[in-house]
Amino acid sequence: MLLRKPAVKLIAASILAITMVTMAQARDQIKIVGSSTVYPFASSVAEEFGATTDNPTPVVESTGSGGGMKLFCKGNGLNTPDITNASRRMKTREYKLCDKNGVTDITEAVIGFDGIAIAQNKQNKPLSLTKKQLLLAVAEQVPSRDGKSLVKNPYRNWKEIDSSLPDREIIIYGPPTSSGTRDAFEDMIMKAQTKKMDVYTALYKKDKVKNRGYRKYHKVRQDGVYVPSGENDNLIVQKLEKNPKAIGIFGYSFLMENDDKIAAAKVEGVLPDPTTISSGQYPISRSLFFYIKNSHRKEVPAIDRYVEMFMQEDMIGPDGILSEIGLIPLPDERRSAIRASVLKHTKLTLDDLAKK
Amino acid sequence: MRPFELKKRHSGLKEKVIRFLLVSAAVVSILTTFGVLFSILFEAIEFFQMRSFWYFITGTEWSPGVTDSKFGALPIFSGTFIITIIAMSVALPIGLGSAIFLSEYASPFMRDHLKPLLEILAGIPTVVYGFFAAITVAPAIVHFFGLFGIHASFNSALASGVVMGIMIIPVISSLSDDVIRAVPDSQRKASLALGMTTSETIKSIVIPSALPGIISATLLGLSKALGETMIVVMAAGLRPNLSWNALEDMTTVTVRIVDALVGDHEFNSPDTLSAFALGLILFVVTLVLNVISLSLIRKFKEKYKINTL
Amino acid sequence: MNTSKNNTAQADKGGKPSARNNPFCDPTLKSRHVRSKLFKLFTFLSITFAISFLLFFLGDMIIKGLPAFKQTYIEVDVTYNDKTIKSTRRAIDKKYRKVVSRAWLRNIPRLVEQNPALMGTTQPAWVLANSQVDQYLKGHHYKLKDKYRKLIDTMNQDGKVEMRFNKNFFTHGDSKIPENSGFKSAIVGSVLTLIVTMVVAFPLGVMTAVYLEEFADDNRWTQLIEVNINNLAAIPSILFGLLGLAVFINLFGMPRSSPLVGGLTLALMTLPIIIVSSRAALRSVPDSIRQAGYGLGLTRVQVVQDHVLPLAFPGIMTGSIIGLAQAMGETAPLIIIGMIAFIPDTPGSIFEAATVMPAQIFTWAGMPERAYIERTAAGIMVLISILITLNALAIYLRKKFEVKW
Repeated sequence: MLLRKPAVKLIAASILAITMVTMAQARDQIKIVGSSTVYPFASSVAEEFGATTDNPTPVVESTGSGGGMKLFCKGNGLNTPDITNASRRMKTREYKLCDKNGVTDITEAVIGFDGIAIAQNKQNKPLSLTKKQLLLAVAEQVPSRDGKSLVKNPYRNWKEIDSSLPDREIIIYGPPTSSGTRDAFEDMIMKAQTKKMDVYTALYKKDKVKNRGYRKYHKVRQDGVYVPSGENDNLIVQKLEKNPKAIGIFGYSFLMENDDKIAAAKVEGVLPDPTTISSGQYPISRSLFFYIKNSHRKEVPAIDRYVEMFMQEDMIGPDGILSEIGLIPLPDERRSAIRASVLKHTKLTLDDLAKK
Repeated sequence: MRPFELKKRHSGLKEKVIRFLLVSAAVVSILTTFGVLFSILFEAIEFFQMRSFWYFITGTEWSPGVTDSKFGALPIFSGTFIITIIAMSVALPIGLGSAIFLSEYASPFMRDHLKPLLEILAGIPTVVYGFFAAITVAPAIVHFFGLFGIHASFNSALASGVVMGIMIIPVISSLSDDVIRAVPDSQRKASLALGMTTSETIKSIVIPSALPGIISATLLGLSKALGETMIVVMAAGLRPNLSWNALEDMTTVTVRIVDALVGDHEFNSPDTLSAFALGLILFVVTLVLNVISLSLIRKFKEKYKINTL
Repeated sequence: MNTSKNNTAQADKGGKPSARNNPFCDPTLKSRHVRSKLFKLFTFLSITFAISFLLFFLGDMIIKGLPAFKQTYIEVDVTYNDKTIKSTRRAIDKKYRKVVSRAWLRNIPRLVEQNPALMGTTQPAWVLANSQVDQYLKGHHYKLKDKYRKLIDTMNQDGKVEMRFNKNFFTHGDSKIPENSGFKSAIVGSVLTLIVTMVVAFPLGVMTAVYLEEFADDNRWTQLIEVNINNLAAIPSILFGLLGLAVFINLFGMPRSSPLVGGLTLALMTLPIIIVSSRAALRSVPDSIRQAGYGLGLTRVQVVQDHVLPLAFPGIMTGSIIGLAQAMGETAPLIIIGMIAFIPDTPGSIFEAATVMPAQIFTWAGMPERAYIERTAAGIMVLISILITLNALAIYLRKKFEVKW
């Protein structure tokens, strides 16, 4: 009885040893990590790829843009992911880390836009907000009445922010700090304005170290008015349904999924829809990316075919599968330019990232 | 020629080899504990080099992801604490009541059939409890309090607390049942002979005798509640909220760990590393609770000379 | 105890006239008995609550999950030719495009490959309906334009709509198309992961238990191991995920998301359960067995190997099965090591990426499409039936082989 135990252990050990050996050889399954926003798109393409070709379905893991970059930039070993998705552009610091670890040949692909929708229960009268009003609703500190100093956000009712807005309690369900949607919201709604508002920047100028947070102020209030909620949450529709006062902030794809219950609000007078988002008229949208590790192309030949499939009109085009689930296609010209550059495996350089 | 001696020498070697294997198996468990500790410790230290430990413990503002991010974990601890309190106030009376019923009142037949049912409760995966809390219990709570015009959050601490409490019932009932049954029958008989009613006997004789064991079970339940992840990830909120109102959304240590590790943060930022700092606190707290719990149960065992617990 | 004090005090003051002279009469007796009954009622209610919660919960899951085992199919004309193979959407009439599942359509080239005779023909076929149609017919929340709803209603009257057993649920893996998603790859992933778990945890656990019970002297070293094992049992599971990430993936370079890493991580978590139950089983073997063995000149190893272990085996098995069931339901550490991912393919080995049943449940629970709710509940039904079966097996083993010494 007991004698068999060490034998079992030996088997386990040899299995382990075999792993190490097999790991070093080529694999045919693509490994993809990265942003939770791109995840639904990437996994749809992955599924289509697995179902319609002889290749195994790529593994798509939602690790967040930052987590994805970390795994992606770890090195060229076959244990590292082949592709990382991102809901923002690679940062120069991340590029440098990749570079340091020998991941030098990267291709960048832009797949389309993701609009950030401000939505509410359909029963409500249509709402129209400006960026400034949104800032005043969500910021931790806002300019005081006389506009000379900053005070803790006193607004509890939309009417208090602007008399033209409805008499409604402010409750906002929005993305949590860890989400890429939150980053984008802070960038485009908060930072974009506060960096131009003297009342914030004056504090920064006074003490650049202590008040560095005021250069581009983007702190969200934590007094219960802004409720961080996961975006992929079955409950969010119920939340807006049960609480008609509330508004929600989430990716446009999510709005599409539930447009029978919730309706988008106008931002700066523009309703989000594929046309306004891709033309840039709608002010809160961002590009979605993925990055390909070209050094893996030889060992994992499926990468090329996957990328090719992803860049097809059937996927990212205006009538593509991804547009059905909420991706906003790039304008035609840009789309074909990017497709050409991706299929040529254009190498990403630090200069590309530096210029906007 | 000398078969006996030969065999003996051979088996002596075998004995040594086996002994060595056995010892190394035992060492694995020690390595695991240290493995867990070290895989948290280094990153936690890195975090505390960037941020003050003192503010982490006592600060009231948790705002990762902004330029001057602050990591005061008090709101997170308070959320964890409140959800745990709710869970324990569900689990403790019901768990203890069930244990008393099983050990003192139930006929052997009932016992044989009820206990496995409780064990099923213990065997339900936490992800399933989480789904139940999020899809069934949370909306029910919002609806119920809505009837009285009270606003409850869909991620209320109450929903995850109650469901977590139900999850812990079997933890408390099973260990308490064992200790209560271990209290010598002579004590019960003596009490009953003096004219005490059954409930008086239980309350003033059996429970006090079994108290160390019951406290130990409670502490075990407590550390389970503190470390529970899936229920709160699925049903509790993400907002660090320093409040006593259980109908509001709150976040817990484990939720923040998961959120920080799978979120869109930049790597090696304090945002991500804070997960390890929280993990370290969780590790230390559950360890302390467990050590206390173990020493209590050891005292109980010594008192009644039991070695089956 | 304090009640007895009260009793004498109250008896002195006297109650009813008849009781005044009787020193043994306790006027509070009635209320004490009432309280005793109430207490019994309380304990009874506690266990009733626990059990009725269990029943409510199981009922809730069954009501939510049962519909997932039926799936809607509709009969439409499908055209097979060169054009439709390229763009499979065109294979069916425009009118039906929105009610047919994309997952079925993309299979058309494969169908033609299997049956070349189809090429160039148009034939009626039963095809998988879109999840919205399915949800509509099941009376759930749906998002179907009135036009399509009427279409489905008329098709239903013509007998062109059918609910069939949802075979896909057991033959497919995860999918982004709700009606196409299944539980198979998660089931296989769980099996592979648990094989790794048991291959590692069972021998290690039993060996540790044997060492502690049969070989170790009672010294500081042994106590350290004992305390340590008990602590291991109390470490929150999520922290084991951090261990798995740091040691197995980052240090040893094992493949992320693989059953190997998941299994090893779960093995370390299961270890204390197996050790504790194996020790109890070994302890229950009476010393007389060992002494008889030594008396016949056997060595310690021989006694343990040939006599003690076989006798303790049923107990060890019971504990291991319970440990196995726990490992099967664990999710939190697997989030950290990447087993929560989109993995539709069934893993073929422990090195390939895989997901496990609870992880799949977690993924589905977070999906925005409502059709996934019933699949989540159905997945839960499958998982819980397996767990209950395992637990029943453990109880059966315990009952059958339990030896009273």
